[in-house]
Amino acid sequence: MESNKKYWKGLEELQNTKDFAEKSKNEFAEPLPMEEVLNEAGLSTVAPRRDFLKALGFGLGAVTLAACQKVPVHKSIPYLVKPEEIVPGIPNYYTSTFNGHSVLVKTREGRPIKIEGNPNCILSKGSLDAKGQASVLDLYDVSKLKVPVLNDADSNWESIDKFVKEELLKAKTGGKKIRIVSSTVNSPSTKAVIADFTAQYPNTKHIQVDAVSYTGIIKANENSFGKAVLPRYRFDKADLIVSFGADFLGTWISPLEFSRQYVSKRNNASLEGKKMSRHIQFETGMSLTGSNADARLPLKPSEEGIALLNLYAALGGVVTGSKPLANNQNAEKAIALAAKELSAAKGASLVISGSNDVSIQIVVNAINALLGSYGTTIDLDNPSYQYAGNDAEFVEFVNEMNRGEVDAVFFLNSNPAYEFNDAKAFTDALSKVKLRVSFADRKDETASLCQVIAPNHHYLESWGDSNPVEGYYTIVQPTINPVYNSRSAEQGLLIWSENAVTDYYQYIQNNWSRSVLAQSGTTWKELLQKGSVTLPARSAGVYSFSRELNSVVQTIIAESNSLAKGGENAIELHIYQNVAIGDGKSANNPWLQELPDPVSKVTWDNYAAINPKFAEKLGIAELDLVEIKTEKYSVTLPVLLQPGQANGTVSVALGYGRVKAGKAGSEVGKNAYPFLRLVNATLQISTAASISKASGTYELAQTQTHHTIEGRNVVRETTLKNFLKDPTAGTGHAHVNKYDLWNEFEQPGHNWVMAIDLNACTGCGACIVACNAENNIPVVGRDEVRRRREMHWIRIDRYYAINDGDNKVTKEDEISKLENLDNVSVIHQPMMCQHCDHAPCETVCPVLATVHSSEGLNQMAYNRCIGTRYCANNCPYKVRRFNWFNYWNDSRFDNYMNNEFTQLVLNPDVTTRSRGVMEKCSMCVQRIQAGKLSAKLDKRKLKDGDIKVACQQTCPTNAIIFGDGNDPESEVSKALKSERTYYVLEEINVKPGVGYQTKVRNTVEV
Amino acid sequence: MRSISLFFRSVTKSLILISFLSAAAVNSASAQDAAAGAAIFKQKCTACHGIEKAVVGPALKGVDTKYDEAWLIKWIKNAPAFIASGDAKAVTASAYSPAMMSAFPELSDDDIKNIIAYVKVGDPKPAAAPGAAQAGAGGAADQGGVSNFMLFGLLAVIIIAFLVILVLNKVIKTLERVMLQKKGIEVEEEEAADKDRFAGLKKLSKNKKFILFIVLLCIIFLGSAGWKGMWETGVHTGYQPVQPIKFSHQLHAGVNKIDCQYCHSGAFTSKNASIPSLNVCMNCHNYVTASEKYDGKTSPEIMKIYTALDYNEDTKQYGENTKPVEWIRIHNLPDLAYFNHSQHVSVAGIECQKCHGPIQTMEEVYQYSPLTMKWCINCHKQTEVDHKDNPYYDKLIAAHDKLKKGEKVTAAVLGGLECSKCHY
Repeated sequence: MESNKKYWKGLEELQNTKDFAEKSKNEFAEPLPMEEVLNEAGLSTVAPRRDFLKALGFGLGAVTLAACQKVPVHKSIPYLVKPEEIVPGIPNYYTSTFNGHSVLVKTREGRPIKIEGNPNCILSKGSLDAKGQASVLDLYDVSKLKVPVLNDADSNWESIDKFVKEELLKAKTGGKKIRIVSSTVNSPSTKAVIADFTAQYPNTKHIQVDAVSYTGIIKANENSFGKAVLPRYRFDKADLIVSFGADFLGTWISPLEFSRQYVSKRNNASLEGKKMSRHIQFETGMSLTGSNADARLPLKPSEEGIALLNLYAALGGVVTGSKPLANNQNAEKAIALAAKELSAAKGASLVISGSNDVSIQIVVNAINALLGSYGTTIDLDNPSYQYAGNDAEFVEFVNEMNRGEVDAVFFLNSNPAYEFNDAKAFTDALSKVKLRVSFADRKDETASLCQVIAPNHHYLESWGDSNPVEGYYTIVQPTINPVYNSRSAEQGLLIWSENAVTDYYQYIQNNWSRSVLAQSGTTWKELLQKGSVTLPARSAGVYSFSRELNSVVQTIIAESNSLAKGGENAIELHIYQNVAIGDGKSANNPWLQELPDPVSKVTWDNYAAINPKFAEKLGIAELDLVEIKTEKYSVTLPVLLQPGQANGTVSVALGYGRVKAGKAGSEVGKNAYPFLRLVNATLQISTAASISKASGTYELAQTQTHHTIEGRNVVRETTLKNFLKDPTAGTGHAHVNKYDLWNEFEQPGHNWVMAIDLNACTGCGACIVACNAENNIPVVGRDEVRRRREMHWIRIDRYYAINDGDNKVTKEDEISKLENLDNVSVIHQPMMCQHCDHAPCETVCPVLATVHSSEGLNQMAYNRCIGTRYCANNCPYKVRRFNWFNYWNDSRFDNYMNNEFTQLVLNPDVTTRSRGVMEKCSMCVQRIQAGKLSAKLDKRKLKDGDIKVACQQTCPTNAIIFGDGNDPESEVSKALKSERTYYVLEEINVKPGVGYQTKVRNTVEV
Repeated sequence: MRSISLFFRSVTKSLILISFLSAAAVNSASAQDAAAGAAIFKQKCTACHGIEKAVVGPALKGVDTKYDEAWLIKWIKNAPAFIASGDAKAVTASAYSPAMMSAFPELSDDDIKNIIAYVKVGDPKPAAAPGAAQAGAGGAADQGGVSNFMLFGLLAVIIIAFLVILVLNKVIKTLERVMLQKKGIEVEEEEAADKDRFAGLKKLSKNKKFILFIVLLCIIFLGSAGWKGMWETGVHTGYQPVQPIKFSHQLHAGVNKIDCQYCHSGAFTSKNASIPSLNVCMNCHNYVTASEKYDGKTSPEIMKIYTALDYNEDTKQYGENTKPVEWIRIHNLPDLAYFNHSQHVSVAGIECQKCHGPIQTMEEVYQYSPLTMKWCINCHKQTEVDHKDNPYYDKLIAAHDKLKKGEKVTAAVLGGLECSKCHY
């Protein structure tokens, strides 16, 4: 059944457009201009013998002269007094905290070069997401301020302290208000510093506001249960998850933790126990979470609240005044089905919504209470402190400023001039404040409106702490002296409030020894070693919902009507965060900018995602520029045809269109924050808008259709039902041709292999950034991605498949027969060098630059490579990358390698490759060698798990397992023995070293 | 002139020697004790004391006048006990430094007397010593001159001999002619002979075989030189740059037999053997100042360490005004090659000298090995893997034994020639 299912990477592949067919013939986007040269015009051009000789002579002379340079003298400068813990050449690891997750920071000779998850972290369990992996590059960012700024001029800390203290005193004596505006602060010490500051200046108030707000959930919980908290969701306890637009694997609240929990119910271990959770996703745009769902149904923003009300009613809740979803029969049917399944899975189910509307979240609470989720899959007693922003408080703050009541304001990790939906109102109001201080590390949109910019440390330079969830405390530890002249914001607040302790390190130590260390009986040293302290959790209470929903129903229906206005070119606009850029705070990180969106595979831009059928109706083609307009704001964006997008809707990502982010992040895409709407004191992520075609087109830098697979069957999937009948279902082992051109290789020692579980991979892209950091992979920029020259060694291929009942699409031209492209399913497949035992690339290399090792690795000797690119042409997996430029020494690629600050992030154990050579995944051979050496030095056997490759190490769901295939007890050997294992393009018998496990979908036949 | 100055120098030298010997003879009674005392002093005391200079403890010059002998004997034998006994002088003396002087119960009274005698006299370095040093330097320079002179002399002798032979030849030829003339045989004119000679050359230049031979010779010569030159491009065997500090491995590793890894500690554990940080130097050089060679002053080379660290010899503190030492790297592997010292030193147990040459005899270090890939590969092909007592190899060796019984297990056999062992 699976064998005739058609998978495709992009619409152009599915439709097999002429342009696509033409392009797919060539391995490289721009072939050598041989034909141009050899055609008549080329041959008849006058290139006289003399000119030829001149050029030849000059060339020879120039080359000789260039070669005549003296051998450079290398200096070797030892430490004067070497710190005891540093041995040059050996990395040190320190615990720290990124975004509430405990991490390990790898430093070499005193500079951090890689962030890895801390296995002790209760949220990540040793994994890390793409943003965390990329955060180390922000440390060296050259767009950051080198010195503090006072009144637009470079200044020093003494002058700033003097100035701020004087102004604060004036505000205090004048009885005016002082405001500290920040994104969510969950650091106990920062909170204590702010409390001390408030004690000194009693008119101070701390206002927390998040760029993407979760106020709706907090308010709803206050309303329903009297607890104004963000609960902790337990996806690892949920057998059935129904999500309404919550991208919990990508961006919603705590995606790293949720991914791990979610996959623990769907991975190999779970399948071997014949169990797998079921996940139904109702959403507008195709999110990472939706792409992983067992059943995904497009739903307009206006339908979300009503769908939830209907679900509540179907579950037996009392709702009066709701209406059926007249225009969405599929969703209506699915809700009935979901209700049935939810009733069956009471106590092990979870319903969530990504909406920030209090009314909608109240309905969600009602449903969950009905299902008995509280105490099992939702924990209100050990809440999450990851988001605590309050939209209404910020709006009130803008009003206060407008009324001239505020004399001093401090911005900590908050950038309202960019992130607030009404930036103009904010900036106008801000100009009435006398003292404006920003702790931003760069002159960003808000900081440039402030008199004082007191650049805060990067987290790798600073002491700090964090309390992301109840009972879990982590420490932030500096791993390098400040790169630029920055100072921690807390230190500034301590000095300005004339605290008795002005050293923030001392302050934290005092604070900890008073509270958490005393409670847990841990010492400071143990804390630094472990990175975190976990206090015993409270038992999760059961909560029942007893409110009457009439007013809520009215609000939801009113809001739904306002979204679905109708009319000419009317659309419902859905604003979302994408996985890489998120809210745009780290928009200046080139690693994140070049990380393809997990679903659309677009880099370096945001876009208007539209359903192909809807676009056809509007007369809009892919990459056309369109204008999206509301009463207040409009942007012009290129169109991306997104299968699975709800009809009549457009999705636009936040985090783009920054004007003062820095070299890489400024002027990338368009700002979507102004589309957010303040309704009932919370910011809503959807709005009614209109769309119209603008003139021109814009080519998005998409990695989507690069490296086509020529319609070969490289991803395999099955359903849970079939899997339970036959565990080998869908692996398609039948047609392997055993005939072989090559001799067998012996791997007497190790045999490094890898197993990738397609059912565990969510496609989040953390591995790509981890690989970038580990292997010094260049960032090539938007133009080069357009030319299909991205350098990522590991990519995640995203395949669409259409589920249209029995109408399986098996041929390219059958697309036109389909009624809609709504019902698509998605598979993510990490793809990197497969280290084939019989590698086709090795056979064609004329200089033996790529050869096989006795440990099963496909080796690449860069300095032997002469750049014929035959290997890339002959690679069936399209995983070889060619260095078109000297990315580390070319001012056109000023992303990070070509800069004396940012290049400090390079891994000294891996060479930077030169122009004209091939590169590809080496299976982190530097880690393999280091692991082996460390076993030899310790005179012990190499243990399974001693060596972890970068992608495996960071994977939030343990989808990638690496190890020694010669060791029958190793984790990877066991994984490869799974019945689900298949090898990509097994039929060509190149004997790849990477095995994949079939994707299993828990589908239910209606 | 030169010989006269040389003569003067040797005369002054001997005069100085005589005067020094007579001075020594005058002090001969104490000198005998002092010689024994010097030996003990060097063995037991120099870690903390100098005669002219304060080290950890105070400078000892004049200590014999400050304290009486009996007091000193008690103090040296067991200072801690002496202080504890409450002796007023001892308590005052102990206030010099928080570091208390160790007890030396193994020293006899006579030993201590000898030490005191030595301290009284100090090192035998009379006023003429610098002169002698100068003379020595001059001598060295002269030696260099002589050797050059000899070389030129030899050349001159050869040239003269050649000329003599030529002249003699000419004379013989003339004589022969005269003899022949006497015998009445006509002799051709000189010019004719000259003509003939050129004609021979011309004839030769028309000899195709000869030309071919010459051309072949040129091709072989230039070709082999070019070939050799190309192989040696980028190979810097013998590279011996001038280092900022004249550090002598010959003295430290050769004479003093300091273990290589005392300074290059990274070689055991890390990929870098690492040049020692200056605090490692200071482990010894806070008291080893070689001042005996420099008229009581710290050696100018050791002084460079102090300057780099901004080290104050009196307070024993490092200062703020530091300036790192910029050594010139001798062994440069290209970036594309990964080399790990610990693999070779700790795991394989290879002597440093295997690659770095007779380092213990090098006054200045030079690159001993070519550091070419061929050189690496050859060693990997020949060196047997030391797999005994290292369980890491158990499985590999077992697997290998299955394949090839009884053959040598070299690094190459275990994959030591594969690209990604060194290139990644």
